[in-house]
Amino acid sequence: MTAYVVRRLLMLVPVFLAVSVVIFLIIHLIPGDPVDNLIKIGSGPEQRAAIVARYGLDRSLPEQYLIWLAGLVRGDLGTAIVAQRPVSTLIAQALPHSLALGGLSLLVSAGVGIVLGAVAMRYRDGPIDQAIMGGVLLGSTLPTFWLGLLMILLFSVVLGWFPVSGARTWSSLVLPVLTIGLAGTALVVRVTRIAMIEAAQKDFVLLLHAKGLPPSRIRLRHVLRHALTPVVTILALRIGWILGGAVTVEVVFARPGLGTLLIKALNQHDYPVVQACLLMLAMAVMLGTLVGDILQAAIDPRVRANLK
Amino acid sequence: MRKLLAKAALAAGICFAGLCAAVPAVFAQEATIVFNTNEVGAPTYNPIKASMLNAATGLIYDMLVEQDADLSFHPHLAESWEEAPDGMSWVFHLKKGVTFHNGEPFNAQTIPAWLELFKESDNAYMSEAIDKVEVVDDYTVKFAMKHPDPNLLYNLSSTFMAIPEPKAYKALGDKFGVTEAIGTGPYKLETFNVGSETVLVRNDAYTWGSPLSKNTGPAKIQKLTFREIPEESTAFLELKTGGVDMLLGVPTDFMGELKSEPNIALLTLPGSEVAYMSINVTSAPFTDIKVREAAAFAINQQEILDSIYGGVGSVANTFLISALPESQVDPKYLVKYDPERSKTLLDEAGWKMADDGIRAKDGTPLKVSLWTQSDTSFRRLSEVVQAQLKAVGIDAEITSFDSSSIRDQYKSGKQQLAVRSYEWNNADIVDWFFGGDRLGYPNTSMFNDPKAEELRKKAMSGSANSEQRQANFKTYHEYVLSQFPMAPIYQPTVNVAYNKDRLVLPEHIRGTEVGPATFMDMTVKE
Amino acid sequence: MTAAASSARPALRDHLVARAFRTKTGAIAGGWLVLLALAAIFAHVLTPYEYDVQQLSAAYSPPSLSHWLGTDEFGRDLLTRILYGARISLSVSVISIGLSVLAGMVLGAAAGYFGGRLDRMITTVIDLSWSFPEILVALILVAIIGPGVTGTMVAITVAYLAQFARLTRAQVMAIKSETFIEAASGLGASHRHILFRHLLPNAITPVLVSGMLATGDAIILEATLGFFGLGAQPPTPSWGAMMSSGTALLFKAPWIIIFPGLAAAITVVSINLFGDALIAGLDVRSRPRTE
Repeated sequence: MTAYVVRRLLMLVPVFLAVSVVIFLIIHLIPGDPVDNLIKIGSGPEQRAAIVARYGLDRSLPEQYLIWLAGLVRGDLGTAIVAQRPVSTLIAQALPHSLALGGLSLLVSAGVGIVLGAVAMRYRDGPIDQAIMGGVLLGSTLPTFWLGLLMILLFSVVLGWFPVSGARTWSSLVLPVLTIGLAGTALVVRVTRIAMIEAAQKDFVLLLHAKGLPPSRIRLRHVLRHALTPVVTILALRIGWILGGAVTVEVVFARPGLGTLLIKALNQHDYPVVQACLLMLAMAVMLGTLVGDILQAAIDPRVRANLK
Repeated sequence: MRKLLAKAALAAGICFAGLCAAVPAVFAQEATIVFNTNEVGAPTYNPIKASMLNAATGLIYDMLVEQDADLSFHPHLAESWEEAPDGMSWVFHLKKGVTFHNGEPFNAQTIPAWLELFKESDNAYMSEAIDKVEVVDDYTVKFAMKHPDPNLLYNLSSTFMAIPEPKAYKALGDKFGVTEAIGTGPYKLETFNVGSETVLVRNDAYTWGSPLSKNTGPAKIQKLTFREIPEESTAFLELKTGGVDMLLGVPTDFMGELKSEPNIALLTLPGSEVAYMSINVTSAPFTDIKVREAAAFAINQQEILDSIYGGVGSVANTFLISALPESQVDPKYLVKYDPERSKTLLDEAGWKMADDGIRAKDGTPLKVSLWTQSDTSFRRLSEVVQAQLKAVGIDAEITSFDSSSIRDQYKSGKQQLAVRSYEWNNADIVDWFFGGDRLGYPNTSMFNDPKAEELRKKAMSGSANSEQRQANFKTYHEYVLSQFPMAPIYQPTVNVAYNKDRLVLPEHIRGTEVGPATFMDMTVKE
Repeated sequence: MTAAASSARPALRDHLVARAFRTKTGAIAGGWLVLLALAAIFAHVLTPYEYDVQQLSAAYSPPSLSHWLGTDEFGRDLLTRILYGARISLSVSVISIGLSVLAGMVLGAAAGYFGGRLDRMITTVIDLSWSFPEILVALILVAIIGPGVTGTMVAITVAYLAQFARLTRAQVMAIKSETFIEAASGLGASHRHILFRHLLPNAITPVLVSGMLATGDAIILEATLGFFGLGAQPPTPSWGAMMSSGTALLFKAPWIIIFPGLAAAITVVSINLFGDALIAGLDVRSRPRTE
């Protein structure tokens, strides 16, 4: 198992490098002189010279990339143009909020999704199944920001149960988590339902029925357990998707997370911050995939064998 | 499998609990205040370098002099002062026992060190009239003047002349005002996140409050959190639902809703803000004064006042707020909606109406850019301006920028039209926004006219007393108006709303705004 | 024989759409889409109002007989703006996804057919962008190109490219080994001939169906970019831009954000349901019982 994890980690290295090249290139792809993209408009010649020296902008692109990468490895993500402080500080402030939101949303969509999926499977093709499947389809197709705004309208303004915005109390997490969670539930419901339907047709289940075990017990203890493998995998693979949703939802609820930081930096043309945010999000996606693969391997020995 | 999931959930739980423990607990003597949207995005608390400062600045620093609501001047760090009869020197007697947040003493030595810092700053004009500072004794300074400056006390009372600690200022360089800000004020800067939040904690050693507040000791409230919420509706909802305690600026369209809330108190104060459209005189087609004039007269101020602002506030027909005597210009200089004049001027300038409703000249359509801040209030105003320009045949394309980066964008000089606003209650704002040495920003109009420069110089430094200064500024203002580097739009009132169940404000608001004097006396209900 | 094989597939496709329309959900969903498209095309005849003429005295009117869905903050009729907005939102999504399908198919087919180094290169790039959420790819591109309709279209095109390239590659690789292709190749047909006359026509149906489903996602993506203020700029109406300005008025005039959102949601659900009906038609075993 350890060997598998190490091997999987090593496979991430080239992907990480490729992603970092793309993100590094952003300041060069944006129209205009990259120096202008790294300092305030109207800065003096000394500041320009300092930036050129620091990022090695007078050297070749590969050299510049290496300088930038070396900085990354040391945890130096540059200095924010507007905030005038290390980008790593800004990231460190934002990251916990995003992790809390993303993690809880993942748990919510997993919990709600598996329960609804199991229920839908139990009443397969009946009205309950159709209602659940229709409901989750609707939930997954609504624009997340729209859903979030309607939640604010209903739960914060009309009912006054939760705060409108910010991230100062636990209760301010409820609406954003629900918004992302609901949108993410659909896929989990679908996968759970189908995986359970397939598992229910397996021979061992028929054997259990033949042994006279109560059907509800078979469904919960054996069928559901068997069906969890694809569900866990799909959840891990969707971490990137959850983060994408979190960007929008953070802005709607004015939570000081990575998404808000990214959108603000984009609007402020603060490219060092944009680069750092994108890098963090990309790393989260890669780690999510990694965790998904490792979980799958832990559950299913065949996957481990395949990689050898 | 189940074990694995349980472990994962547990680990996740612990991890979240740890992360969220960082969220501070709620203290009783604590208040959350939202800045006015026009102060969102102030990039620094460095009064010397800043071109824009927010309401928290006056809490971190003190000024030598304070100005009251009736525009009279009162002592603060300066206990008293004398002006020589010819206006060529001033003596200031400083308050004793004042210390900066970092423990450094405030005394006569501070003053020359501080004024020295203004060199090469955009705000240098504020102390430009002072030739030399003489330290008479530990608590007395004498200013020798280059020329009489009737505006000196006004300048000294402005937050741009709030006094930072000169040693820390030099040591921190560009970081001063961003990562740290050291003053003598009733609050210390704890954290500052540009565009989102400023946290101030009480300066417990403070015993030198100004006479404008009843309380001259340490402030009553331990911790003040100032939030920057660019979205007015969010700010409004936060106040309504108890998420914040006070809004320093309530947009007029929410006033009706707030009045019906039982726990919200609303204060309406005369404002010092003017919304206007700046016109870049160096960018074709606005290099032609007729096109500028046409654009200016296409703005329907009354319609904007009535329909966007519900009739609250007043129209602006000059660049200055009506409370200033310099705004009483000859009626022929007033910029007042006149679409026929607009159309005639455009015809004269060769821009003929085409079938699609957009004017054109030699086959080029009259298409211009209209810059604005991405906040809703500015975007809404800009969309109305866009429609009003379209009505006379000008096609303006809106480009919106984040409020904290638009000032930098102006420095590129690429703007054509821009809807913006300023807040200032002195005629020298004409100099600030139209001075030929500040092209880009603050001079977003890129206006650099020899005659204007001459009048400007006279207004800024050629007046022996207040009457002369007034007359000179009026002439300067009139000339600028006649060149149409901008079109005035609207003068809002300042509407402050707070939660009556949480905050108690002093009965009379003293000072020119809800500022330090009010915060000193403000308390939180237990 | 080969000609017969390649022409039989388009016939099946037409059949497929007709079959989808014959199912109950397919008919309702397809009906809405057709109706919306027609309403968008004939918006200028259907409504007495202009989408960009402000009537400030009528601002914030709630839904009424004269303004069925109310008016916005400038007194513009909301229904009119939703119809004109459908033009932008639908055409941006359809055109971008169309371009994306086209480019994705070319890349995917080239990778799948030629294999080797080209395949490895294309697959690497595809896998790379595949690992990013679409909204992030779109945000990066809009940051580079700048806000507006063009930026949005490029962003959507690129964001979904990987999906179609992947699918086409898989399809092409599966069909490549089938007998009739090997026969054509054996008869000395050129790469171009085999690729365009045989492989692509046979691989196209699943790609088109997934393109259809992606159009729904693209509408949401356009709306999200619009919500961030990065999409169509005023006074151009797009559903996203309308919701963006409605955000500030959530409390004062909730209809400004509710109705464009509903229009987007119904459209996206319809696209999904219709897409499901198409897929059901593809798969003989699970053909809907309602047929």
